[in-house]
Amino acid sequence: MAKIFCVANQKGGVGKTTTTVNLAAGLARIGQRVLLVDLDPQGNATMGSGVDKRALKLSVYDVLLGEAGVADASVAAEACGYRVLGANRELAGAEVELVGLEQREQRLKQALAEIAADYDFVLIDCPPSLSLLTLNGLCAANGVIVPMQCEYFALEGVSDLVNTIKQVRANLNRELRIIGLLRVMFDARTMLQKQVSDQLFEHFGDDVFQTVIPRNVRLAEAPSYGLPGVVFDPSARGSKAFVEFAREMVERIQGM
Amino acid sequence: MFHVEHETDAVRVLVLPGWQGSGPEHWQSRWQVLHGYERVEQHDWQQPRRGDWLARLEETVIDSDRPLLLVAHSLGCVLVAAWARFSRHSHKVRGALLVAPGDVEQPGLAPALPGWAPILRDPLPFASLLVASRDDPYCSFERAAGLAQDWGSRLVDAGARGHLNAESGLGDWPEGHALLQSLLAGAV
Repeated sequence: MAKIFCVANQKGGVGKTTTTVNLAAGLARIGQRVLLVDLDPQGNATMGSGVDKRALKLSVYDVLLGEAGVADASVAAEACGYRVLGANRELAGAEVELVGLEQREQRLKQALAEIAADYDFVLIDCPPSLSLLTLNGLCAANGVIVPMQCEYFALEGVSDLVNTIKQVRANLNRELRIIGLLRVMFDARTMLQKQVSDQLFEHFGDDVFQTVIPRNVRLAEAPSYGLPGVVFDPSARGSKAFVEFAREMVERIQGM
Repeated sequence: MFHVEHETDAVRVLVLPGWQGSGPEHWQSRWQVLHGYERVEQHDWQQPRRGDWLARLEETVIDSDRPLLLVAHSLGCVLVAAWARFSRHSHKVRGALLVAPGDVEQPGLAPALPGWAPILRDPLPFASLLVASRDDPYCSFERAAGLAQDWGSRLVDAGARGHLNAESGLGDWPEGHALLQSLLAGAV
């Protein structure tokens, strides 16, 4: 049965989508069956997987509204080795259309239950705002992966997310927990980043992933080619780190 | 000549164009210039997505601290019906002028506008007028009359005026603006 993870951080611009597509590609590379769910109307994870968001016939929007199943609405990201349940701006309408429906936060969870046997991992790319879409992601998930840059206000962003997760766990999804914090765009030469990294370990201990994703120009370039860095340039340092992170994820969820 | 009456100054008029937007010669654009009405700018006029357009309208309504009047043309009418079906903020709308609704269910339009069909036909929770043309290539008069009935709109027969757009030679379309004023005055 698939394990379902949200990649989330309430602070924008932290490399959330980069983490989602590269972890998906890394997991695929080590033989895992992966579905990526794009829950952000900007559709960046869709495009970053080489899938044209404007050409989608069906998307996660149709799934949330109950008008299509995940199997029909997902498409193969051919070069990446995983499947994508894509998004485009249409998805913004779900915020309006779901409001009056019963169990509106549980729509994605119910839809994913039908395909759980077909995958090892489902990765959900959440929008940075705490919206009905994000709640659907958090309700569907077993856990949350939190990418973060080791910068001055990083811990504040994480504490907002921790509070959100506590509320969701209390009211909607008792199983939800942080799987781990992933340090991204890391530059070990910077003293501040090392200090923040040390603080993270003090606060979160083993919840911080051992793998560190370095700041890497090839990872930054890859989205303009519509590919995750892991696929665009597998030999780049950042790409190798994501494959390593995929292995750590597989280990970490043993026994979950 | 067609200024909004003082007692209705508090009402904000939102202009909702159809597919591909309304150019400078369209009566909607002219009304914006003449009367200071505001257009709801969509992210993508060429490849409209219903959910995207709906969310944009919802944001505009939520952000408004004044009562609203909607002036929709073509696909904009279909948008108003869909938005009113789902939104919890439709009480902010005093009324809607719906002009030449685009029949997105007709075979010639449906493939170009995925996700817009079927047209939602719930009664609108505010007063409305639907102006239909006798020779509109994008919606037969009979179909428009059926929409007016389902939406609870008063049907206005505009005669043979095409799609009631820039090509119809309506200029500033004073007859249409008189209808809007009747909505403003609550006479519908």
